Amino acid sequence: MSSVQDTIFDIIAKESGIDRAKITPDATLKDLDIQSLDAVQILFEIEDHFKITMPDRDPNFDTESVKGLVETVEKLAAERQANPPAG
Amino acid sequence: MHRVVITGMGAVTPLGHSAPATWAALREGRSGIGPITALPRESLRFGIAAEVQGFDPLAHFDEKKLILLDRVSQLALVAAREAIRQAGIDFARDELGENTAVVIGTGIGGENTNDEASRRMYAENNPRLHPLTIVRLMANAPACQISIEHGLRGPSFATVSACASANHAIAQAFALVRSGVADAAVTGGTEACLTMGAVRAWEAMRVLADDTCRPFSKQRRGLVLGEGAAVFVLETLERAQARGATILAELAGVGMSADAGDIVFPSEKGAAMAMQRALRDGGLAPEAVDYVNAHGTGTPANDPTETRAIRRTFGAHADALAVSSTKSMHGHALGAAGAIELVATIGALRDGVVPPTANFIDPDPECDLDYVPNTAREKGVRAALSNSFAFGGLNAVLALRRA
Repeated sequence: MSSVQDTIFDIIAKESGIDRAKITPDATLKDLDIQSLDAVQILFEIEDHFKITMPDRDPNFDTESVKGLVETVEKLAAERQANPPAG
Repeated sequence: MHRVVITGMGAVTPLGHSAPATWAALREGRSGIGPITALPRESLRFGIAAEVQGFDPLAHFDEKKLILLDRVSQLALVAAREAIRQAGIDFARDELGENTAVVIGTGIGGENTNDEASRRMYAENNPRLHPLTIVRLMANAPACQISIEHGLRGPSFATVSACASANHAIAQAFALVRSGVADAAVTGGTEACLTMGAVRAWEAMRVLADDTCRPFSKQRRGLVLGEGAAVFVLETLERAQARGATILAELAGVGMSADAGDIVFPSEKGAAMAMQRALRDGGLAPEAVDYVNAHGTGTPANDPTETRAIRRTFGAHADALAVSSTKSMHGHALGAAGAIELVATIGALRDGVVPPTANFIDPDPECDLDYVPNTAREKGVRAALSNSFAFGGLNAVLALRRA
């Protein structure tokens, strides 16, 4: 398991209160019975942890499945490393 | 118990700086939503809002008075002046002002003042805050400023219930006048919430639209924040008739409820209870209602839930109703929303024209009522409901009858 995936699993389990063992990469947050307010908190914690801005309903990104979240974070974090923000 | 009528209305909205200008835009289906100008757009995720543009405070207040007023109070005061002028009411006569109430709703209060104070303290490391910070930012400031300006000494306070604040305010004012506790009331809602902090906080909830507000439409993508104020004069039918006032509409009843459920996800039952109570309180049969001004935020959750609540309340008559969300044009002004929507509802009752739901593209199978898409419709409106449902599950509905 990549460290990004590991962290995202931790965040999902902590914010939603579901058992970490139930989380699978293929599940969507909806499959995991995660309510919308918990879902936006998960996105916020991911953004805050990785210092990135997660896309909002952008058709080019999957931010609904766990696997999609991991891929989005890995892509945005790599971009950030390539172009570090000024200051 | 007195019958209560509305004899004056005033508004400062993204659609115009008066109630007639606002209503004219609503009839035309003109939208006040556009790229945000008050904030640096590039630092926002989407950067659209319904702003009150071209409002010059110095055209309305001298500098000495202005220093006391957050934008939220400025908008309310200008709307109140218009409402009182239209009502043609003299509060000095027969000591009417001695027992006229002022009840003004706001969701946030003096947000611009708060933002400015935070900026000085945290961004500029300047520990000295302006000594009038508190009197500007307190949520009751708009009510107090109206009371002071017009010498109104009846029960006066603010109501705070997020997006239902204005309807809760109008409901309280109504109860005061109907019961005789107050002789008349000045009431409505005001909001000036377009600061970087507030907009960012809304962005974080991921409920804002990135294009525009399309209530009940399949392509809806969320709400669009707005700002503004609308204020009304309420008095008893007897007084209005005795002084020969023009009656804009009768405020027949109000209905309030709490979902006691989720903090953000709306409940069909809670919304329906508020509508049912408003009908009962106003002595209206469901079949007597021709128009519902919907809460209609344009979020994925509100619109289908509100649709089901309307069906639950009206039964088969739901299909005969015209239902529209004017937030598609004036945006979501939070604590002022219900007041601005009352301008729309009174317009529909008086002119027999139902304002449209603008920006409508395709119907959503989950939203299956007649939403008057994109173009206003001529239709006699005998009675109407105006819905407001707040985060926290707080619902307030006004029932109005044609004068």
